[in-house]
Amino acid sequence: MKGWLPLAGIGLLAGLAGVSLWLADRHATPPAIEAGPVDASPAAIQSALFRDGDGAPRSLGQFAGKVLVVNFWATWCTPCREEMPGFVKLQSRWQDRGVQFVGLAQDDPAKVAAFGRELGVNYPLWLGEEGVMALSRRLGNRLGVLPHTVLLDGQGRVIESRIGVFAEPVLESRLAAITGK
Amino acid sequence: MKKLLPVLATCLAAAASAAPASSDEPLDPDKAFVPTARLVATAPAAAGTGERHGIDVEYRIEPGYYLYRNRLKFELHPANVLTGPPEFPPGIEVDDPFLGKSAIFRDRVTIHIPFAVSMARPGHYRVRIVAQGCAEDRICYSPFVQEVAVNIPPGYRVMDFPATQAPPAAPRGLPR
Repeated sequence: MKGWLPLAGIGLLAGLAGVSLWLADRHATPPAIEAGPVDASPAAIQSALFRDGDGAPRSLGQFAGKVLVVNFWATWCTPCREEMPGFVKLQSRWQDRGVQFVGLAQDDPAKVAAFGRELGVNYPLWLGEEGVMALSRRLGNRLGVLPHTVLLDGQGRVIESRIGVFAEPVLESRLAAITGK
Repeated sequence: MKKLLPVLATCLAAAASAAPASSDEPLDPDKAFVPTARLVATAPAAAGTGERHGIDVEYRIEPGYYLYRNRLKFELHPANVLTGPPEFPPGIEVDDPFLGKSAIFRDRVTIHIPFAVSMARPGHYRVRIVAQGCAEDRICYSPFVQEVAVNIPPGYRVMDFPATQAPPAAPRGLPR
């Protein structure tokens, strides 16, 4: 009978620990997960046309030679907005090491500009119509969800494609591994 | 002692399973947000008012997912039934630090699309829906299209206002 008590205590503690973990994790943001297969050539990725805040045409090819972090996002997407402060910090830390961030959105240009100003976004926020999500889907985003972040090498080849919030430390370690810096 | 082992095993299993499988892929939008449509006729709300007819689109929303109220759009195809503006329940108000106040739907919601029966032609129809929603703290779906079928049977020609009354004004938003 007495032998029960320690075991019962351990069992109870294990149960409580599990419940505590669950409660703590309920509101934690799950990590970004790997997207599906890519169906876009580097040439198609680099030549896809977008426009900047002034309406001028832009394409990812203008950053050839750099490691690109291409982030598909929208102002109405709360998880997208939550990960962007981390991208701003990483752009500052990695811009001299051959890394360039670009945000792509199919969204209201005025809202994109306002959010960019409010957050102090230090990388280009480009816009497009259906072509934005079409490219995202071709880069593995089967479900058409946001945020979707794609790492490209200097030739426009896909290194990694992830959906969900890309946490700053995780992305930074990926950039270190990719650039060797 | 032997009796206690199953209890302990259950506790440990509960602890192990309590952490969610957070690395799972989000649900396909057609599984996270499941719409169905049905023809409805409601009783008069007050004396002197006619029955209300239309289509109820009910959404069943998976736990942890939500739909944006002001981003739902409905179209009836073929468009030979004139429908009024959709009637949305208020939803759950959310205050977004950037976008301001808006409303979302969770769990279940029914949106009523009214039409005048006198103008309804029997036939098979499709309600085309454009929706936007999110999985809490995780991802949002870019606008996605869903379709649900609804059938107006032959003989569905009851009057939607008493014959002695003047016809109601055309619902707002209808073409003139």
